[in-house]
Amino acid sequence: MVLVTSVRDYINRMLQDISGMKVLILDSETVSNVSIVYSQSELLQKEVFLVEMIDSISVSKESMSHLKAVYFIRPTSENIQKLRYQLAHPRFGEYHLFFSNLLKDTQIHILADSDEQEVVQQVQEYYADFVAGDPYHFTLNMASNHLYMIPAVVDPSGLQRFSDRVVDGIAAVFLALKRRPVIRYQRTSDTAKRIAQETAKLMYQHESALFDFRRTESSPLLLVIDRRDDPVTPLLNQWTYQAMVHELIGLQDNKVDLKAIGSLPKDQQVVSFLQCHVLLVGNLYLIHLFSWQEVVLSSEQDAFFKSNMYENFGDIGMNIKRMVDDFQQVAKSNQNIQTVEDMARFVDNYPEYKKMQGNVSKHVTLVTEMSKLVEARKLMMVSQTEQDLACNGGQGAAYEAVTNLLNNESVSDIDRLRLVMLYALRYEKENPVQLMQLFNKLASRSPKYKPGLVQFLLKQAGVEKRTGDLFGNRDLLNIARNMARGLKGVENVYTQHQPLLFQTMESITRGRLRDVDYPFVGDHFQQGRPQEVVIFMVGGTTYEESRSVALQNATNSGIRFILGGSAVLNSKRFLKDLEEAQRISRSGSHMV
Amino acid sequence: MATRNRTLLFRKYRNSLRSVRAPLSSSSLTGTRSGVGPVIEMASTSLLNPNRSYAPVSTTEDPGNSSAITVGLPPAWVDVSEEISVNIQRARTKMAELGKAHAKALMPSFGDGKEDQHNIESLTQEITFLLKKSEKQLQRLSAAGPSEDSNVRKNVQRSLATDLQLLSMELRKKQSTYLKRLRQQKEDGVDLEMNLSRNRYRPDEDDFGDMLNENQMSKIKKSEEVSVEREKEIQQVVESVNDLAQIMKDLSTLVIDQGTIVDRIDYNIENVGTTVEDGLKQLQKAERTQRHGGMVKCASVLVILCFIMLLLLILKEIFV
Repeated sequence: MVLVTSVRDYINRMLQDISGMKVLILDSETVSNVSIVYSQSELLQKEVFLVEMIDSISVSKESMSHLKAVYFIRPTSENIQKLRYQLAHPRFGEYHLFFSNLLKDTQIHILADSDEQEVVQQVQEYYADFVAGDPYHFTLNMASNHLYMIPAVVDPSGLQRFSDRVVDGIAAVFLALKRRPVIRYQRTSDTAKRIAQETAKLMYQHESALFDFRRTESSPLLLVIDRRDDPVTPLLNQWTYQAMVHELIGLQDNKVDLKAIGSLPKDQQVVSFLQCHVLLVGNLYLIHLFSWQEVVLSSEQDAFFKSNMYENFGDIGMNIKRMVDDFQQVAKSNQNIQTVEDMARFVDNYPEYKKMQGNVSKHVTLVTEMSKLVEARKLMMVSQTEQDLACNGGQGAAYEAVTNLLNNESVSDIDRLRLVMLYALRYEKENPVQLMQLFNKLASRSPKYKPGLVQFLLKQAGVEKRTGDLFGNRDLLNIARNMARGLKGVENVYTQHQPLLFQTMESITRGRLRDVDYPFVGDHFQQGRPQEVVIFMVGGTTYEESRSVALQNATNSGIRFILGGSAVLNSKRFLKDLEEAQRISRSGSHMV
Repeated sequence: MATRNRTLLFRKYRNSLRSVRAPLSSSSLTGTRSGVGPVIEMASTSLLNPNRSYAPVSTTEDPGNSSAITVGLPPAWVDVSEEISVNIQRARTKMAELGKAHAKALMPSFGDGKEDQHNIESLTQEITFLLKKSEKQLQRLSAAGPSEDSNVRKNVQRSLATDLQLLSMELRKKQSTYLKRLRQQKEDGVDLEMNLSRNRYRPDEDDFGDMLNENQMSKIKKSEEVSVEREKEIQQVVESVNDLAQIMKDLSTLVIDQGTIVDRIDYNIENVGTTVEDGLKQLQKAERTQRHGGMVKCASVLVILCFIMLLLLILKEIFV
């Protein structure tokens, strides 16, 4: 909650002191930061009557001096260049510049030089440099996320750019929270170590005065970890609402683009009891409209989503059915207009009714589309094997299950790849012959498979590279715990997996995060437990992990966790990053 | 949340750079912009300088160390939007007055309350008139063409439409609560009177004939009055519901549904460019399908067959 509120406060402050008609100018990154927390109607209330991108605004030649320009952009060199040109040829009456991160003195100098007509009224740094999608989850939406997997020698400038952007994002989060943390990092990850050290340098040396906030009794903790310590979570198929939507369809800045999936063949059998309800409730003709549109899934604005985003698929179905029934009741009573009072009441309640109708249609459409995909890709069968691979033991049985699924024609290529990867991650050292057989079978079955991708994954995230006890089979305590869980049986086979992050959070809560595995930066030290923890995962987070964090925070253990990453992954994105990193590594090694 | 103000540093740099730049003439600044309306030229050394002069500067003069800034007048539609917001403000103050008048009319008083009723009616009429006028003016703000100015106009229109809708719903609520309370009061009053009259005439129940007839007549008259009043009120309610429904229908296309995709800033930015493209694509596709459509082929084949048959018929006639 606090991150969303901070960004909203920043935007409010930007707009409140400037009177009159305004135009808000954003760049491609700040547009996400702003859109996810602020709505168009709220902007209109603040008299912002035009929103433009900094790229497109130089093209037009119309002069609109009755408008005041409010710029909210990242202080990158490209933006500064564009701003130079726009200041030299001003189109608006006044210019108010807000930057989402720290400006260098040289940049201010350049801007002052181009402001010949003295249209700039203020230059401020407002540190809303992250995308606050959920109350305890933020992301940096980085396009070149794959750079974290590439060693520094291959692409030093790329890694520097990656590191700079991450450090900027983390700094902005702490400036928005007005805290200066103690920093720890994952020992086995060079990228995490580098980022932790550069963040420490920024906060304690370069901009020490800016970060010198009022000290509380315990400093917050910043923990920088690497995605490669838990490569299993992004590969798994998901069954809780928010995570499932992102995995099957794709959630970007809390928006779902339904146009991408409209191409399913029409003769697919759909097994969904909701379909019957769709036919019954005549008012839901809007369902067809939504199939070519985008919809918004935001816990702030949608009460149904807020209470269901972490529920599993079966429960969601039941809750949606209930919602549809309620709506049917309202619709029936609305059609039953007998007296004048009924008419008046209908007109009064019409906006509410319309909103409810839209919301019901949205959720029914989403769940219908996801049901179709689950059926088409046989995901229930595939996911059961995935969960077994991730959670339970038995190499022989696992090998058989994976082989069967590889032979199954209706399993898609990406699912085959995921199964082999999960098997390889788990049984990397056991029975190499069978492992090789799986690789060959995969290569022969999937024509588009980039050879060596699984091996590349093992090189990046294999058992030697990992710190944490990913499969719970490293120390006796974990093995015992696993056996106990196996004997007890699980509530739901499809959601039995717990991300490694959960264990990390438990260790922090108990004050038992090992210094050996997660050392402090420099001479930082922390006695006892922190009260606020920001965990930054280099390489990206997943919605399963953000769910874990939200549930952990709900237990009121006295520690508040916030999770952030360089991107929000699903299996498609994680595989894409792997392929990209593999391609660059190959070409890099050729150059050497 | 932390912020940092860099304006001082920026101004320092700007001033020092200006003094470096001053000897160079800056006469190229005027006349490079194509304003959308009449322009006012201002001569000033700096916007921060309180001693600005508003004397017009011609380009033949030597600007010296002053730079001319052209400030364009806002386009004409801004006046319309300002008029609408003034009307909305007026309607708001009148609504507050109406609330007070409602409260006064509901209080028990010695007079017959006709003056209060008249006041309320006139206020309600004025407010409705203002709302209707604003709504008509709002339609004038619509613009054609995907220019930047039209986006601003559309957004101004949306914002004013939301305000109007809220106001009309507020008016509706005020009216309905007033009418409800009024009806309750009247019912209580009538019941009270009915009870009183019943109590008064009870001892004379044995006396049939004129007395009871009179009793019945007065009862009938009272219920008639009540029903006439009720009808009038219902008439009012129907009228206001009609007006409101009309306003809401017209505004519903303009007002943004909160929480939906159209309320997203990024969607609105992207959509400006793509809807035109999509529309064009759809049209082209429709054209193509029409041309290559099966229907066209079928029809042409049938026509050709007809001609062939006709020809065969003629030939048959000739040779037989």
